[in-house]
Amino acid sequence: MRVTKGAQIVAGTALLALAVAACGGGGSSSGTGSSSSAAGNAGAVRVEIAEPQHDLIPGNTTETSGAEVLNALFVGLVDYDADKKPYNRVAESIESTDSTTWTIKLKDGYKWHNGEPVTAQNFVDSWNFTANGANAQEGNYFFGSIKGYDDLNPGEGKTPTATTLSGLKVVDDKTFTVELKNPFSGFPTMLGYTAFYPLPKAAFESEGKLKADFGGNPIGNGPFKISKPWKRGTDQTISLVRDDNFKEGKAKVDAVDFKIYTDLSTAFNDLRAGNLDIMDQLPPEGIATAKNEFGDRYIEQPSSGIGYIGFPTKNGADYAKNADVRKAISMAIDRKTITETVFSGTRVPADDFISPVVSGYRQGACGEACTYDPAKAKALFDQAGGAKMGTIEIGYNADGGHKEWIEAVANNLRTNLGVEVTPKPVEKFAAILEDLGNKKWSGAFRMAWIMDYPSPENYLRPQFGSGGSSNYSGFASKEFDDLVTQGDAAKTLDEGIKFYQQADDLVLKEMPYIPVYFYQTNGAYSQHVKNVKIDPFERIDLFNVEKA
Amino acid sequence: MGRYVIRRLLQAIPVLLGTTFLIFAIVYALPGDPLQALAGEKRVDPVFAAALREQFHLNDPLIVRYGYYVRDILSGNFGTTFRGLPVSTIFEGKFQVTFQLAITALIFEAIIGIGLGLWAALRRGKWEDKGILAVTLLMVSIPTLVSGFVLQLVLGVQLKRNTGIDFFPVAGIQDGLRSYLLPGFVLAMLSIAYLTRLTRTSLMETLRADYVRTAIAKGMPRRRVLGRHALRNSLIPLVTYLGADLGTLMGGAVITETIFNLPGIGQQLFQSVYLRENSVVVGIVTVLVLIYIVANLVVDLLYAVLDPRIRYE
Repeated sequence: MRVTKGAQIVAGTALLALAVAACGGGGSSSGTGSSSSAAGNAGAVRVEIAEPQHDLIPGNTTETSGAEVLNALFVGLVDYDADKKPYNRVAESIESTDSTTWTIKLKDGYKWHNGEPVTAQNFVDSWNFTANGANAQEGNYFFGSIKGYDDLNPGEGKTPTATTLSGLKVVDDKTFTVELKNPFSGFPTMLGYTAFYPLPKAAFESEGKLKADFGGNPIGNGPFKISKPWKRGTDQTISLVRDDNFKEGKAKVDAVDFKIYTDLSTAFNDLRAGNLDIMDQLPPEGIATAKNEFGDRYIEQPSSGIGYIGFPTKNGADYAKNADVRKAISMAIDRKTITETVFSGTRVPADDFISPVVSGYRQGACGEACTYDPAKAKALFDQAGGAKMGTIEIGYNADGGHKEWIEAVANNLRTNLGVEVTPKPVEKFAAILEDLGNKKWSGAFRMAWIMDYPSPENYLRPQFGSGGSSNYSGFASKEFDDLVTQGDAAKTLDEGIKFYQQADDLVLKEMPYIPVYFYQTNGAYSQHVKNVKIDPFERIDLFNVEKA
Repeated sequence: MGRYVIRRLLQAIPVLLGTTFLIFAIVYALPGDPLQALAGEKRVDPVFAAALREQFHLNDPLIVRYGYYVRDILSGNFGTTFRGLPVSTIFEGKFQVTFQLAITALIFEAIIGIGLGLWAALRRGKWEDKGILAVTLLMVSIPTLVSGFVLQLVLGVQLKRNTGIDFFPVAGIQDGLRSYLLPGFVLAMLSIAYLTRLTRTSLMETLRADYVRTAIAKGMPRRRVLGRHALRNSLIPLVTYLGADLGTLMGGAVITETIFNLPGIGQQLFQSVYLRENSVVVGIVTVLVLIYIVANLVVDLLYAVLDPRIRYE
């Protein structure tokens, strides 16, 4: 998944945030003597979100705000532990002998909020609905690896030949099988994502057709249920109450209110005033204040995003085609200063193509090529003939707050390599992608990636595999493809990792993209709550949050 | 007077058509494809986009599309967003919030602005006058963005944390009328400054008029001279300003509503422009134009109340 989450809102608030940064930082006070607040529903834990872009339908939710709410309403087959490894929740077992056909058994006792038991059919119905191109669900692409997907999504101008995935079969009430197009040992890692939640019978008006009001008044199977139907576009709070019949026990808090904010700075002020309890994203200018004021209630942890500078290695300019020049450019970028100053510490320097949030990440895997060394960079650049390859262009979308760091990179290159650099703003990121797709973009470009599921494979194949769904650099290597396939076919995820890492090394050597920074999750919570944990999908584990 | 009102309302029709067409042309002239905004940074699905293009008549020329829009508006239908939400649903409750905010601001403006203006005019040249001028200068110079965040931090966050006084909510409208005090004041600040100066000048001018001198010479009590003769006559430019300002306040609440997280049309306008939800933008502007027209009409009618010499025909 390319970075889309929150980008729209963040960009909007960045406008405001930058302008007030001057007055935001100075006002930190002792932070003692705050009394509890009386606002909102009594006793509810109040969580900041942006307005979800769609109604509360799992398959249609790929941004973080909606996913946050759904995570409290629903529980999936698996969830992720502190090591980002999947463990079973609704699933009793997820097994396969060949990594292609998976048998999924469900535990007894999970119930929908309306009292019905959660069955295998509920999962199959939900997945079929989302995988059906005609339903235009945002999470549609998650099902691309399941057999029969192409019949439902035949592409432009063709008519679908099926309405359900042929790879899904219900065996009995508690068992179903999934047949994949190709073996993939990491399949269980995918299943904790929002798009894979089940849907109850009551969600459907008729077979394959969702009730119009379900998204505002969803019936889930999670620890919380909706207490009052939510009207998107009008209601500024989404109120949930605890479901006392939840199989895993009662959540520790009675109720959760998701409060919708359009501006992070405002929400942060509300948090500081005690009118809000949890934020899993902080305004950049508030980070320093948060560290001071919130102490151990300030959260800083790696998130799954990676920011790159990419190159069209096949159809681009001379400098884009030359691996040594790309490496020299990488060595000339002062990642540390950029992450600390431009991003106020909300990013950290990247040193691998696999994010630190998934197993398989190796610290310093990129080695020398990602280490700031102006002298070596210049030597390599000159040796490769970079000086004669003309002005370097770096394209970026002007609407996402990328100008500052691209300018900083450009300055690095000018100073350290003595080369002309032109940052090239484009209105929308999609315009760059469009041009890259049509082989019309010749310069460098910014790129970013957020994982769809916590497997190293997700950082490699879609971006660097031949014909990968998001391969914009044109990188293609048979050896790479084979290694990833070997990783997929391995018996377990752990066995696959060494193949993925070898594939990773190949990309690191060629550097079609330069990894620049890893995204971070910066959050904070009030004195009213404790035990706040944020998972690699940036979702808060509300089931275990307690009142302090 | 009835005929006058009808004539004015009829005049409003071409104004409304003209302004909506302008804004309609402008939002669609913005570079980039509005449907692309639906997919964020991904490429929008071509099949999906084609269906939407058909549904929203995006393949027709601008003037035809505008025709469809006017037809829908006449039947009271503001259309739907590209994301499938009826625009009327989005409007629900939002105009109320903004209206309440604008009225709060207007009250602040009228009381503080006219009050300070009168005081300055009566103490002309004294230190009070100079002080008021300095304060208004300061108010004009500080952008809403700054005053909003500073007041939010000082009165919303610091005051509560340091003294325990929880009177000014930081954000949201959950505290009823109290929620509007701070944003209302922030929104009004600029206008308070203008109104103060306008009142001061207007009153000082009236005080120099012949009839005031006559009244004073006749030995009329000072209170009556001021209240009945001078003030009432100097109110006309002020009422004009206040009336026109209602529209400005409603349309200008974008930053204030964003800072204080008030779910009004200002915040909505900001988001809709960003998300390229053209139907919402045009809808909001249409209603704002209507408000302007009505406010101006009411102001014109008020003239007659303030100055009986004015007749409408």
